[in-house]
Formats: sequence, C-alpha cells, structure tokens
Amino acid sequence: MKRFFQILVLALLAVTLLAGSPGKLVMAIETEPVGLDPTLVTAFASHRVLENVYDGLLRYDESMNLVPNLAESFEVVDPYTILFKLRDGVKFHSGDPLTSEDVIFTFERLMNPDTKAPAATYYKEVSSIKVVDGNKIEFKLTIPMAASLLPNFAGVNSSILSKKFVESGANLQLSANGTGPFELADYVAGNYITLKRNTEYFIEGLPYLDEIKMMIMPEEVTRVSALRNGDVDLARINEPLSLNQLPTDRFKIHRNAVLSYYLLGINTTRGPLSNPKVRNALNYAINREMIVKLVAFDEGAVTGPLNPELEFWAMKPSQFSEYTYNPAKARELLTEAGYPNGFEFEIVASQRYSFDKVAQVIQAQLAEVGVRAKINLVEWGIFISKWRESDFDSFISLNSGSIDPDIQFNRTFHTGGSTNVFLYSNPEVDALLDRGRSEADINERQKIYNQLQKILVTESPIIFLYSANTLFATNNSVEGFRSLANESLIFLRETSKK
Amino acid sequence: MEFGYIIRRLLSAVPTVLLVTFMVFLAIHLVPGDVVDIMLGTQNYLTQDQIEELYREYGLDKPLIVQYGIWVKNLFTFNLGTSLRTGKSVTELLGERFPVTLELAVFSLFFALVIGIPLGIISAVKRNSFIDNVVRVIGLIGLSSPSFWVGAILIVLFSGVFENFNLFGYVSMSSNLIDNLQVMLLPSLTLGLMVSAQILRMTRTSMLDILTQDYVRTARAKGVNSRNLIMKHVLKNALIPVVTLSGIQLGYLLGGTIVIENMFALPGMGRLLLQVVNERDYPVVQGIVLFIGVLIVLLNILVDILYTVIDPRVELR
Repeated sequence: MKRFFQILVLALLAVTLLAGSPGKLVMAIETEPVGLDPTLVTAFASHRVLENVYDGLLRYDESMNLVPNLAESFEVVDPYTILFKLRDGVKFHSGDPLTSEDVIFTFERLMNPDTKAPAATYYKEVSSIKVVDGNKIEFKLTIPMAASLLPNFAGVNSSILSKKFVESGANLQLSANGTGPFELADYVAGNYITLKRNTEYFIEGLPYLDEIKMMIMPEEVTRVSALRNGDVDLARINEPLSLNQLPTDRFKIHRNAVLSYYLLGINTTRGPLSNPKVRNALNYAINREMIVKLVAFDEGAVTGPLNPELEFWAMKPSQFSEYTYNPAKARELLTEAGYPNGFEFEIVASQRYSFDKVAQVIQAQLAEVGVRAKINLVEWGIFISKWRESDFDSFISLNSGSIDPDIQFNRTFHTGGSTNVFLYSNPEVDALLDRGRSEADINERQKIYNQLQKILVTESPIIFLYSANTLFATNNSVEGFRSLANESLIFLRETSKK
Repeated sequence: MEFGYIIRRLLSAVPTVLLVTFMVFLAIHLVPGDVVDIMLGTQNYLTQDQIEELYREYGLDKPLIVQYGIWVKNLFTFNLGTSLRTGKSVTELLGERFPVTLELAVFSLFFALVIGIPLGIISAVKRNSFIDNVVRVIGLIGLSSPSFWVGAILIVLFSGVFENFNLFGYVSMSSNLIDNLQVMLLPSLTLGLMVSAQILRMTRTSMLDILTQDYVRTARAKGVNSRNLIMKHVLKNALIPVVTLSGIQLGYLLGGTIVIENMFALPGMGRLLLQVVNERDYPVVQGIVLFIGVLIVLLNILVDILYTVIDPRVELR
C-alpha cells in the first residue's frame, strides 16, 4: 500500500512537471546578450535582459510617458537644473539598501572617460551632480537642456548600480546586482538566461512570475516550432509569414508599432546623390507602401523623419508630398538636375533584418525612373566598417528612434554629429538643432522640429522608409504580456501564466 | 614502435596546425571591420582618443606579426587568452561548448553508421536488384540534400507531432539524461542522415570490390555459408575504407556543425565560432581554430591505430 502511494505521488509529480509550472515563463529570444554591464552595453539583446534586472531613476509607462521609478519624483527646477527625490526602502538584490551615494557613483562612473560608456555623450553637458537634503540628487547642466535630457534617465545605460558591488571588483559584464523585479539567477552562454523573482522588489505584489527562462534560439523556424511544441510560452517573431503556422485558437499574437525605422542613408558628398534635387527625386520614385507590403507583409507603417507614433512631435507622412509615390515627378526632378537618363549608384546592405529585401524592392522601383541601383550585399562587420568610414553611396539600415526628437536628430544631422555618417552639413539645420535642444517651451520646440522635419524631407540625407511592427507570439496560458514602442520588455514584470 | 609513431606524427602536425592558425589569424584580421568597430556598431559614441585606447587595451595597436607572436608565445603556457567581448577565458569557453559538439558528433556518427553500413551491405549483396536501386536513390538524396533543409523539415514534421517530447532547449547530459537525449535526437539524426549517405556508398563500393576477389570465390567453393562469408570474411576487409571515412567525417562533424547547432539552438562550439567571427572576437576565434586543428590531427592518428586493430597486417611505421 505504501508503495502504491509512493508511485501515485511520483506520477502526480511527473504530470505537474510535464504540464509546466504556472510561475515559470519560458521565452525564446533571438540573440544573446553581449555583456551585462548596464553602463556599457549597446547590444539590443543585453538591454532586453538588463531592463528587468536593473532600474533607472525614471522609466516609461505604457503610453511612453516618463514616470518616476527609483526616483520617487522628479522636477525640472529650471532649464539648467533637474532634481530627483530618491525612493526610500529600495534594496539591491544583494540586500544592500539603495542610497544617493549609489546614484552619484553610477553617473560619475558613466561620465568618466575611462569607462567609455556610450551614454556619456548624452550627459556631456552635465556640470555637477550632488546630494541635496539627504535623499535628493541635483543635476546641473551647462546649457539649458533639462527637458531633452530627461528621457536618458529611463535608458538601460543609466541604470543605477551598487557602489559596494562595483567596488568589490565584481565583473559587471558577467554578473549583476540591480534593484529590478528580477534577479539574474543563471546565464549559460549560448543556451539560456534564467531570471528569478526579486522577492523584495519595491513595488509590492510585483513581479507576478517566479521565474523567466530566456532560451537563445537564433533561427526563426526553431522559435516557432518550439512554441508550437510547447517548449516555450513566448517567442519573438521576425518573419510575418511565420504567423501562418500559429493558429489563433492556440496562440495570441502581440503586435506593436515601434520607433525604430528602416532608412536609405545617403552619402551627401558623392556623385549625383550629392545634389539634394536628385535625392528628392528618389523620394518620389520610392513607393513606401509597396515596401511595407512586400517586405513586411503589411506588418508596419510608413514613417517620416519622426515616427508617427510620436503623436506630439511627428508630422504625418501624408503631410509631405515627397512621400506620395510619383514617378513622373521623379523623372522631372532628375531631368532638372541634369540626369534625364538616370544614373548608377550602389546600395550597401547586409542580410540582417531583411535589409537585402528592402534593397531589392527599392532597386526595382528606381529602375522604373531609369536609376540603376547596384546592391552590394556584405557581412555585418564589413557593413559597420563601411558605415563608420562613410564608404558608401547609400545603405539600408534600421535606426532606433527616440522619444525626444533631439536625441535622434542631433547626433544624426548636426554637422559633425556622432552618427552623421551621411556627412550632411546645413548651417540652417545646425542652428535649428541647437535651438531645439535648449528651448524650454514645449510648443516652441514643436515649431522648431516641424521646421526641421520639412527641411530634412526636402534635403533627404536620409530617405525614411517605414517602421516594422514588433511581433511576439504567446500560447494561451500567458497573460498580461506587452512590449513598448521602444521594444522594451519591462512589462514582463506584469506578465503571468495561467 | 606505435608509441614512437604517435610522437612522430604529433610533432609533424605542429607546423601544420600553426600554419592553419596563422592563416586564420591573417584572414580574420584582414577582413574589414574589427572588434572595436563591431562593438561600437552604428552608434559611434567614443572619441578618437578613447577608441585608440581601446585598441591599445586589446593589444591591437601592435603590428599583426607581433600580435601573432604574442599569441604563440602564450600558447607555450597554455594561455589561450580571454574573450575581448565578455572577458571569459577562452579555455573556459571551450570547456563549456566542446562537450555539446562532441556529443552531437558522436551521436551523428552513430546514426550514420547504424543507417549507412547495413544499407550498404544489403545494396552490395543484392547488387542491381530493386532494393539496390532504392537504396542507391536514398543515398543520392542524402548526399544532395543540404543539412539546413533536412533540419528544417525534421523540425516542422516533429514539432507538431510529439507534444510531450522535449525538442528544443538544450539540457546537459549530467543534469537530465532523458531530456538531453530527446533534445539531441533531431540534430543528430539530421547530421547522421547526411553522413550515412556517404558511409552507405563507401560500404557498398568496398564490399563489391571485395566480393569479386579470389579468396571470396574460394571460400564459397569450400562451402562457407553466405551469411558467414559476408560477416566474417568480406565485411571485415571492406570496413577499412569505411573507418577512414568515419574518421574524416567525425573531424568534419566536430568542426563543422555550425549550421545545425544554430538551427537547433545547441550551445556548441560551432555556434560559438560563428558568433565570435561575427564579433571579431580574435582570441576566441584563434582558440577554437587551434582546438579543431589539434582534434583533427589526433583523430587521424586514432584512425591509423584502428587500422591495425581491424587488419593486423597493417603496421605503423
């Protein structure tokens, strides 16, 4: 009899294990993090893990508004001053309490040139950081740009570190100690990352899940099959066609418009493309809706210089006549520019994120107005090397957008801007960018950026194409999952499993 | 004598392996886009001074030949260096990843032999029959189907059928044997099917060759029954080229399972190699190439020793 019960218990245990535990979510991710130091990481995959392990002073809510996070409140005292009030009772995963010293340490480390942090450029106008009244931290700036600096405090690169942990000599690229809803429990390179619930997370009741296992599955066919087979609960989908394999009665599809955008970047100093009129002709000759249809299978939307999702800032693509497909107008402009029979140029593309497919559709569309585009398909490392040296006529790429137009435009279009590989230089644009950055009145800023958007479309150092939706699929047991327009997965903390 | 032979073979392999690592070293450094470029990506957030400091930190400011010299010098102390991207030691990375690849290679070869040899024997014995033709067509399909295609077909076929079967998500053998075997089944079968086609053809050809020899005819004339003749007299001799081929294939499997490891999300050495080449993580690329080189040399020696076991007339000199 005793043995019978033992067997029964074992059998029940086995059945429960097979059915999957309710508190554990298994998700398939495409790429592996490259390093885990929040101050240093640039890889998208690192950000997705770390935003669940670390917290910043601020974060985004679901509608992409900046809200307090580790800061209990924040205030733009004047255009030169930001004041954060630090939340009480927050603990790092190690058990140490979060103090204003940790915050100061984090930003001093970030801004130290020896750290070589990517976000240091955003904070270069910060002249001092100091503690006021015990738990308030004051940032003083050299130029009046407090409002446009704020979004940076919600970025993964500005996550707050434990001074004690870093000074103990821990290798932050391999280990983590944050204040976030999940702790890094296990990382088996090439295989999986396990996050465990932080039982002392400062928001009571969160997170809902006990454990998240992120399985690294580079191939789409594997992710989709693993989802179908029940090996994972949630998977990132890159190819809209894969959705056909996921019947809607068993799977939920989560689609989200995002800020990142596809672009045809142009070297504004080379050959026929150095003439703004020629670049503008390309605007008319490219049928953006058709690219969305053919490459993204309608899982995306045409975008102008700013993503239409940024409702306050962005001018709609329909407001620009250049964004309406008009091959006759394109030919007219080409003739005016002295190229009645078109010309030849090169598009550099890699096979990532369907860049090659976007290039092929553009090639076919330009051929109709006599412009012969030659596609140069290169490996990613070669692509980057060409990009960095501006060694291209044009290229297809995907840029991450930003909530504040200053972050996206300044580095991209200012003469000598850090990502101005287009070698674009226009004194009028530079002046507008400088004014936009330091203007405190939001309506005035809007006017400035509207003017900029118009100039950028007519001059087109970049031909903006479209934003593809991010697609995730979950099985029916997953509830409350959503991703944000900046592709962030911070709402995993509010995700649960039936 | 065998011991002396092994030492001589090992020593003669040193220049070969070094040459291979040197060529790979040159190739990976000459490709445009270096580790710093890829680290910065399309973000460009460092000043020129900071970038130069990074090159100095990584030792990439020195001439290529000096960099290679330093790498070889470190080899003598078994120091393969550390990953430029994660700071992990290359030896540790190899220790983590190689067991997965080894397991995959051994299972694949197992499938290849279990499928290939019997089919090859049947095909040779029933030469020009209907069965022979069917087997030969199967072999031809196996040879001409790329592994990524076979893998994708198997994934799609199996993923809907066995819902309680753990197809994805690698689990190590020591942590859960059953799960491990389930996860390894499809990738090993994919590679095994490919290699089995070659084993099949080699077994068939070699058997046919032996079957026409005088001693076989004599044995038949003396009344040795068919089964005994094939198993004892023909197969043993016919297997020698199959052993060579298996050795070569095992080397290929150990070094070349990049596509399958990627497809089935196995954390093996092939996938690591792909990743570090993409990231230009030079020390790791070098470490893996050296490791694969040494493995192949050792495998070849092992195959030579196996000859003497199968055919005692063979002597190693």
